[in-house]
Amino acid sequence: MQNPPGEEPDTSLSVTPPKKWAAGVPAVVHALEYSLEQTSPRKTGVDLLTMNQVGGIDCPGCAWADPAPGRRHRNEYCENGAKHINDEATARRITADFFREHSVSDLAARSDMWLNQQGRLTEPMIKRPGSDHYEPIGWNDALGVLAQELKGLESPDEAAFYTSGRASNEAAFVFQLFARALGTNNLPDCSNMCHESSGFALNETLGVGKGTVSLDDLHHADLIFLVGQNPGSNHPRQLSALEEAKRNGGRIVAVNPLPEAGLRRFKNPQKPSGVVGRGTQIADRFLHIKPGGDLALFQALNRLLLEAEDARPGTVLDHDFIDAHTSGFEEFARHARTVDWDDVRAATGLTRQEIEKVRDEVLACERVVVCWAMGITQHKHGVPTVREIVNFLMLRGNLGRAGTGVCPVRGHSNVQGDRTMGIWEQMPDSFLDALREEFGFDPPRPHGLDSVKAIKAMLEGRVKVFLALAGNFVRAAPDSEITEKAMRTCRLTAHISTKLNRSHTVCGDTALILPTLGRTERDVQADGEQFVTVENSMSEVHTSRGRIEPASRMLLSEVAILCRLARLSVDGTGDIPWAKFEGDYNTIRDSISRIVPGFHDFNARVTRPGGFQLPNPVNEGVFRTETGKARFTCNETVIPLAPEGHLLLQTLRSHDQWNTVPYTNNDRYRGIHGSRHVVLVNPADLSALGLAQGDRVDVVSVWEDGTERRAENFEVVSYPAAKGSAAAYYPETNVLVPLDSVADMSNQPTSKGIIVRLEPTGDRYKPAPV
Amino acid sequence: MAQDEDDGRTGGDGVARRRPLSERHVDETVEVAVPARTAYNQWTQFKTFPRFSAVVRGVEQVRPTVTAWTIGYGPVRHRFAVEIVEQDPDAYLAWRGLEQHPTHEGEVEFRPTESGGTAVTVRMLLRPRGALKVLTRSSRVTALAARLVRAELLSFKDFIEGLGQEGGAWRGTIRNGRVQHDTPEPPRSRVAQWPVG
Repeated sequence: MQNPPGEEPDTSLSVTPPKKWAAGVPAVVHALEYSLEQTSPRKTGVDLLTMNQVGGIDCPGCAWADPAPGRRHRNEYCENGAKHINDEATARRITADFFREHSVSDLAARSDMWLNQQGRLTEPMIKRPGSDHYEPIGWNDALGVLAQELKGLESPDEAAFYTSGRASNEAAFVFQLFARALGTNNLPDCSNMCHESSGFALNETLGVGKGTVSLDDLHHADLIFLVGQNPGSNHPRQLSALEEAKRNGGRIVAVNPLPEAGLRRFKNPQKPSGVVGRGTQIADRFLHIKPGGDLALFQALNRLLLEAEDARPGTVLDHDFIDAHTSGFEEFARHARTVDWDDVRAATGLTRQEIEKVRDEVLACERVVVCWAMGITQHKHGVPTVREIVNFLMLRGNLGRAGTGVCPVRGHSNVQGDRTMGIWEQMPDSFLDALREEFGFDPPRPHGLDSVKAIKAMLEGRVKVFLALAGNFVRAAPDSEITEKAMRTCRLTAHISTKLNRSHTVCGDTALILPTLGRTERDVQADGEQFVTVENSMSEVHTSRGRIEPASRMLLSEVAILCRLARLSVDGTGDIPWAKFEGDYNTIRDSISRIVPGFHDFNARVTRPGGFQLPNPVNEGVFRTETGKARFTCNETVIPLAPEGHLLLQTLRSHDQWNTVPYTNNDRYRGIHGSRHVVLVNPADLSALGLAQGDRVDVVSVWEDGTERRAENFEVVSYPAAKGSAAAYYPETNVLVPLDSVADMSNQPTSKGIIVRLEPTGDRYKPAPV
Repeated sequence: MAQDEDDGRTGGDGVARRRPLSERHVDETVEVAVPARTAYNQWTQFKTFPRFSAVVRGVEQVRPTVTAWTIGYGPVRHRFAVEIVEQDPDAYLAWRGLEQHPTHEGEVEFRPTESGGTAVTVRMLLRPRGALKVLTRSSRVTALAARLVRAELLSFKDFIEGLGQEGGAWRGTIRNGRVQHDTPEPPRSRVAQWPVG
């Protein structure tokens, strides 16, 4: 184990050619290196060998599904999961002395990486109004300060309650219950910023806001599309599923603005062929698409499928499915035939021949799955793009059958479960009625605030108290300067956290750090040792049980913190057994079983090996849409264009990063080492812009409000990004994403397709409004 | 290999089958002394197969149309996924392996008999890949497969006749690998509907 860094790492950029494959032995080496930097070999062993095992710890790294019990590897995790879990299980500790040494201002000047590397938070801390230091505070006093502030609000809607996808089902359920018992639906969450567009579009077209596939579907699909996602870095265990699909004869089409290593080849380190061999080729076909061109691509494919049906009637479309299970086909078909090939070319950068080859792949296949992630949802037209994907699948009946379906790939491990538990600012009356019947109080009905609206409300002084259940809201949210200003406007900000992050340093007049147990740690309450539950990306609900001793005896679980806070704030509202909930999580699950559809016999079913899978109505032949059928939709073509001299920027993670937390300054698959302040640009674009690799630039975004948003002093890297586009790391470039730039209908911030220009440093000028 | 004269045959209910098994290596029938509804309901509780089967070690019901079977003999285990492509309550089901080129497919028919019992017929077509293809050309191997299926059917007969009634039921219909919409909606489809971000 190494001590935490005293100063920021002093490294400079070096660039090597991008890798052509992912994982392999280097992944194992890097995972172990980082783990052993953080903690002891014994803890590393305990964590890793119980991770993603039946009865073990659910990896907090991502929401990818686990293989069925009996089919899991002894080492059922990836490099990033191993790093993440041992980052949490670190032996490093932050004590009161640390906060005496470092003022809040000092901490606010530190990098995300440095803050994370200081270790686990161990006791409650408070920053009092006017002070620049956190100081220790007892739990009762800390929760009392927060409760008093909440009770003193003129309206419960002056508080906002943010949830990150790390929170368990139990904590999420208690959190939303607390907020509603207080009297507000202000429940912004990280879903607002990742897959909101997917949920909106799927709910509208299929009647359920979740993916429809299981691992078996992926394994046995004839053709898998990977669209706008980077499985090698963001969900590496997906590569094992893709490997099996390839072994079963499936083919893969990858669609992305960057030719990521994990889309090209996978060397499974658990197999001899992955250690000494060439591994498995992932993408059989790679479409180097412009950012945001995916809508036009699927529209073009749909037009080609309709034309193929015209040429060979009765052989291309699944008329049985379309006639019996869908609505709106005729109108959709008329609209799809008008898609213009020049528009498609302009939007995608792809030739008609390239798209026709994909059509041929589709026609040769009986079972198709489309996977996507934030490369789709974080565009302004994220919702229409997901709708068009649904159109594409429905044309050939690729829904509700084995080996077919939609697969929105989610990031946080329980981001899906948190929503299922009611973390949403617009929950339907049926859910609120069930809460009323169970707990005897009338939950508020007006819709609350999502993430973007909450930031605006804070700025305007309408939200005065902000409580976060996990996460790093300040760094996850768009328009960093505005978001930080909003947080600083609050009277009180409080974070239930395991580790230090920037959201603790950019805070309200009063700020609280409420340290909590991590996933890896034993959780013992009055009724004995507890476990929690999570729901993965494929709707499987299962347990997670920590195995190592807590980082501090002063830590409380998330559930305990929330139940104690509730007893101080809303005791007497309804008949909510907060003390029972804290002492025995089974009682929370009993309540959930009576409130959330699909969770009957929750306690009994979730403790079976592997838990249980929530059924998906689409796979039961049921489409709970407005028409009672799956809905074809007509979507206008969008051509994302940047003005002359500008580029379309996408923000993305590095390989050595988990959400807002970079572990190092390296991104080895992309060949970036020693710096995160880089902007990746196609060499032809660099040439046209008069720039060269190594030039230093400010990245400046262009938005209709005329405000100049600037990410300063980035180094240009010549990279095979799609022409006309650029890529740079988040959260460093969140500053460029305007708060008002949101996806149509879903209100999801658009962290992709941002119009930017690159200004050589020293050559700054005042831009004219666009 | 046996062949049907009429590939487009219909079931007892007159519904045309989409995937009639025109060729097969196995065609075995056993009469069980329970009504067709009871036999069908018990058979389609796939998870209970290990209770009577000599070779099925476990079955996961992934969803109505997908099951994953683990079969074994001694220490050897083999897992494979199966897609149910047609299913008519009390009458018929057809399956195929979920591989891209299915290595097996089959059908089960339930026909009421005059005595009040049910004739349960299993037909299977084996289509192994690669070198294993040679196996299905051997009459001894196909005869062995037929004997195995017959033994399993007899075990099922003992099981359901001993129990007297089924231990559960799924009464949905599957056409072309897709569950048909039921009215009223099946309880399983009642899940959280709100969008998931």
